[in-house]
Amino acid sequence: MPETLVFYVLSGLAILASALVIGQRNPMYSVMLLIASFGALAGLYIQLDAPFVAVAQIIIYAGAIMVLFLFVVMLLNAPQEDAADWDRTHPLRQPGIARFGALLGLLLVVQLGWALMRASELDVPVAGRVDAETIGSVRQVGRVLFTDYMFAFEATSILILVAMVGAVVLARRETDQ
Amino acid sequence: MLALIPLFPLLGFLINALVGRRLPKTVSGSVASAVMVASFVVSAMSVWQLAALPPAERVLEQTLYTWIASGDFQLDLTFRVDALSAVMILVVSGIGSLIHIYSTAYMHDEIDSEYARYFSYLNLFAAFMLVLVLGANFVVLFVGWEGVGLCSYLLIGFWFKKRSASDAGKKAFVVNRIGDYAFILGTLLIVTRFGTLDFLRLAEAVGPMAVEEGVFGVISIATLLLFIGATGKSAQIPLYTWLPDAMEGPTPVSALIHAATMVTAGVYMIGRNAVLFSHAPETMLIVAVIGAATALFAGTIGLVQNDIKRVLAYSTVSQLGLMFLAMGVGAFGAGIFHLYTHAFFKALLFLGSGAVIHALAGEQDIRNMGGLKRYLPVTYWTFLIGSLAIAGVPFLSGFFSKDEILYETFHEGHTILWLVAAITSLLTATYMFRLVFLTFHGERRHDAPAPAHQEDEESAHGAPAHHDHLHDAPPAMALVLIVLAVGSVLAGYVGVPHALGGHNALSSWLAPAFLPGTGPADAVLPAEEAALELTLMGVSSLIALAGIGLAAFIWLTRRELAARLAHAWSGVYTLLLNKYYVDEIYDAVIVRPTVRISQDGLWRGFDVRVVDAVVNGFGSVVDASAAVLRRLQTGSVRAYAGSLFIGVVMILGYYLWR
Amino acid sequence: MFNSSFDAVVPMLCVVLAALASMGAEAFRAKDEEMPIGGLGIVGLAGAGISSGLLWNRNAASFGVLVADNFALFVTLTLVIVGILTIMFSSQVLRRDQLPKGEYYALLLFSLVGMIMMAMANDLLIVFIALETLSLSVYVLTGIRRDDPKATEAAFKYFLLGAFSSAFFLYGIAFTYGLTGTTRLDQVGAYLAAQSMSDNPLILVALGLLLVGFAFKISAVPFHMWTPDAYEGAPAIVSGFMSTGVKAAAFAAFARVFLSSFEPFSADWAPIVWILAALTMILGTVVGVAQSNLKRMLAYSSIAHGGYLLVGLVAANQVGKAAILFYLLAYAVTNLAAFGVIALLSSREKETDELRDFAGLWHTHPALAALMTVCLLSLGGLPPTVGFIGKWYIFSAAVSAGYYGLAVIGVLTSVISVFFYLRVVVMMYMADRDASAPVPSQVTGLGMVALAASIVAIIYLGILPTPVLDLAAESIATIF
Repeated sequence: MPETLVFYVLSGLAILASALVIGQRNPMYSVMLLIASFGALAGLYIQLDAPFVAVAQIIIYAGAIMVLFLFVVMLLNAPQEDAADWDRTHPLRQPGIARFGALLGLLLVVQLGWALMRASELDVPVAGRVDAETIGSVRQVGRVLFTDYMFAFEATSILILVAMVGAVVLARRETDQ
Repeated sequence: MLALIPLFPLLGFLINALVGRRLPKTVSGSVASAVMVASFVVSAMSVWQLAALPPAERVLEQTLYTWIASGDFQLDLTFRVDALSAVMILVVSGIGSLIHIYSTAYMHDEIDSEYARYFSYLNLFAAFMLVLVLGANFVVLFVGWEGVGLCSYLLIGFWFKKRSASDAGKKAFVVNRIGDYAFILGTLLIVTRFGTLDFLRLAEAVGPMAVEEGVFGVISIATLLLFIGATGKSAQIPLYTWLPDAMEGPTPVSALIHAATMVTAGVYMIGRNAVLFSHAPETMLIVAVIGAATALFAGTIGLVQNDIKRVLAYSTVSQLGLMFLAMGVGAFGAGIFHLYTHAFFKALLFLGSGAVIHALAGEQDIRNMGGLKRYLPVTYWTFLIGSLAIAGVPFLSGFFSKDEILYETFHEGHTILWLVAAITSLLTATYMFRLVFLTFHGERRHDAPAPAHQEDEESAHGAPAHHDHLHDAPPAMALVLIVLAVGSVLAGYVGVPHALGGHNALSSWLAPAFLPGTGPADAVLPAEEAALELTLMGVSSLIALAGIGLAAFIWLTRRELAARLAHAWSGVYTLLLNKYYVDEIYDAVIVRPTVRISQDGLWRGFDVRVVDAVVNGFGSVVDASAAVLRRLQTGSVRAYAGSLFIGVVMILGYYLWR
Repeated sequence: MFNSSFDAVVPMLCVVLAALASMGAEAFRAKDEEMPIGGLGIVGLAGAGISSGLLWNRNAASFGVLVADNFALFVTLTLVIVGILTIMFSSQVLRRDQLPKGEYYALLLFSLVGMIMMAMANDLLIVFIALETLSLSVYVLTGIRRDDPKATEAAFKYFLLGAFSSAFFLYGIAFTYGLTGTTRLDQVGAYLAAQSMSDNPLILVALGLLLVGFAFKISAVPFHMWTPDAYEGAPAIVSGFMSTGVKAAAFAAFARVFLSSFEPFSADWAPIVWILAALTMILGTVVGVAQSNLKRMLAYSSIAHGGYLLVGLVAANQVGKAAILFYLLAYAVTNLAAFGVIALLSSREKETDELRDFAGLWHTHPALAALMTVCLLSLGGLPPTVGFIGKWYIFSAAVSAGYYGLAVIGVLTSVISVFFYLRVVVMMYMADRDASAPVPSQVTGLGMVALAASIVAIIYLGILPTPVLDLAAESIATIF
């Protein structure tokens, strides 16, 4: 039972923090909230017996990447985002599409919740779930990563390369023209 | 060898399309005409070969290769000549050759590149038309069907500088698409029901099936869809409105495409599927009624039109109606016979009107003509022969074919339809001779206000109006007129009915095509039927003469009577002059609402620029000075994401709540 | 665990190497030195094509997550053709618009890597990585003309919405994994076939979410909204590349996931895909009629064509499956050539993409006008072009599978669609050119060769489709 409670607290925290990220007008707060969200996620990973992922999450995302983000935000010196008035009001009070989108979001949550509840009543057979050992230790993660997920691992490197090239293309100053 | 028949014009098309703009006119014109003549020669040779076979086996086939094969369904690219296609290829390549020759003179005022463009379209048209009549299955026929539509569209809009011309092209296209839609659906229905699209296989499959008497089954639906396709192509109610407008194209085009060949494709297609249609008497009745109604309807309109080509256009619609009437009462032979004779005299009449227009430098209003007999003798005499033929004056070609239709209609017991056809004959004779008298007889007139497009016409022809130095058709045109006039007189003699001591050779030649595998119908007419036929013949001859007399009385001797009649019956006259307001009704009921739905409804509802505006209107979010990115975040992206989101919620909703 | 063979990776590897080489070439190029970087790409793609040919019928599999069966290889070959044609069209465009050559080609080739990966993927995770690889490259390519605010706007919209839809897709993968314990497509399929899960709402949720992800990429209505903006904003040649390559790759994965893994649930997804197909065909066509910008018009046209492909997916009989592959190839060649014409005619200052820009094209560029006419007629499905054969197959598949409604809608929309294709033809042949308008640029040799090759293919496949059709039928038979 306490495990369940922790789960709900952590996931609630993650969701709340994420929601607040997009509601902030000061990008600095957004970044901080994102760190909170990542931290909560790391907690969830630990609960799922995946300490390696949890640590990686903290070190890489909450640590390295967010520091980078903070620097960027500070260097850009963009403390405030000038939003229209209605941006600050409650999502459901916002006009037009935004309110509509919020409604749809609620609807989706209801749908998913309902589906999950119906599924839990069914007592679904859970297929060959990976045992905790496999994802638990660094050793196991390493083994799986370079056997089962070898190709995915390599393909991801292409993905990252593409992202870098793309960033360079879009951000480069046009000096030679 | 059969493949050569369409390949020759295709070759001409390629030459004129690729290098035509660099060739002098004489070369491109000669190439275009020569390939048509070559095609005619090959056609004649194939028909000769066909005629040498015993009647029941008169089929020549050439399969080039298997075009499409999917599962157990196979579609070959096959050309086939049987008795019916034989008539068609001769008409298409023969009349086509003549009209190409005529065009070399008629279009002579165009610049080189336009001249080549014209002939490349005309050759391409001929190639597709030959594919249409040679195709051994629906898909090959459809290739031709679409191709001729496309060429017709390009040729109607040939003088695109005239706005009316490009509008007319558009209209022809849209109306034909409606027909094509039904046609494709009919084809799909046939392929699912019978598993074949080959005409012969289809006839074999349908042959033993029960006739759908009094029920509206699959065959009836399929044939009805095909017939709707035919109404589009062959300008029948309700899809006839494009044909009169199609007269905006050059006159030889009107003669070839919109009188002699393409518009008869619908009639041909029904004849091609005679077995199928015979199994659907309900559809046949619809075909007959629509045909008769169109014949009468178009005839009345033709009576009051003032544009020489429009009169002929309505006349074409009316004559096509008679052909459909014949098809609908099961007299397939009579329908094709009329198609064949009509090709001669209608081509002749159009080309004659072209000679008139050419001489008058683009004038098309008959109120501005009159007395041209003196100046244009060749044109006059040939035009007169054509008019006599179409009016059904005894012993000219139109007489035989029209009488066969009238007789068969009466004989099959459709008395009312017969009466309609008879009235149509009267109208035909009247409006044709109104045309003859107003154009060629009396004094030269200039009473009508100059039509708005006259200037364009002149620039299109390049020659200024010299009304007092009228010259008759140049040799190439005169020659064609004379050949066609001879044809209009003699063409009917292949189908002299038994009642007149003939053998109705055409009918027995065609019979195996309508009921494959059998020999020619061995018709020995009983005496009382011969008497009936002779009586009907007498009646219709009288009708024709009465119509001519009426026209002579009104427009030759007492011209003011026409005006008085028009005044006294002004309501009817206005109604007819405005073509029963059908165009206006279509515009108000169909065209405008459709446009509104497409543009205002769907487009405005779904297209970004409007979504943008709507979104902005909702929240008045966008500051005019805001940067692009800023606008995006609050603008349409939300709407797009909303649309995506709706999709997600709907799909999940479907699964969860069903 | 380690699968013995590397074979299936080879085609992809060729393209990766070419991409890396073009990046290197750009980096080591002296200033103002002209380098045939596009040539590197063509060599790499040719390598991919040849290796695909060698792999034919071998059913190679690598790492268990990639399969080079004939289906994947057919799509790969289609993509190779798309890539080579795009590079040939691009050479003129890049020089004219002074776009960064090395980066452009690298991104183009990387996105092709993603596409090929997607076609070969036998694992939902790989599908996702491939999807992201190709999407990221295409986002950047869309906005590569940075001085054009419209391009930036288009790229940004595309990126945001793409990320949004990817989230749904990933969620679908998560549900699938949660239920079946695997992301391997073959294992998912085996599991779903073995277990009776029809009353489990979660599998339907997974199905729905995966469907959304694919529907976005093939721009099915109502997930299509980004398409007209992206195609209008991107350089014409990139629009052509997106509308063909991305669609081919996404359809390949779509077909593989839904026709093999989720085949047991076809009764559940077919009605939804039916509706999507109908909406897509209708909306793409009807809204297309109202467009006056050629790129927008072609965007709606490509939406509508996605609808026809969905019809083949719904029909899902032997004919329908083969028709999907054939249609993908036919559509790819035709649409790319049409966009190619626009790209080649444009100038640096202005894209020749308004309908009136094409007025009287016949007088200034007779050959291009003729080539464009053939493309448009093929898009409209008029015989004797490849478009007609493709549509014929799709609709006859629908009819023989009993989906009369879809066939009726499909025929109707394709009949209507001819209207807007022909409008362009009319403009080119039957309108006088605006005397004040600048004469569109002349086309260089390479672009012309690419166009001519496309047109030959369009007509050749329209007249003699059987060999390729047989190939398509044969390759689809290997997996489903």
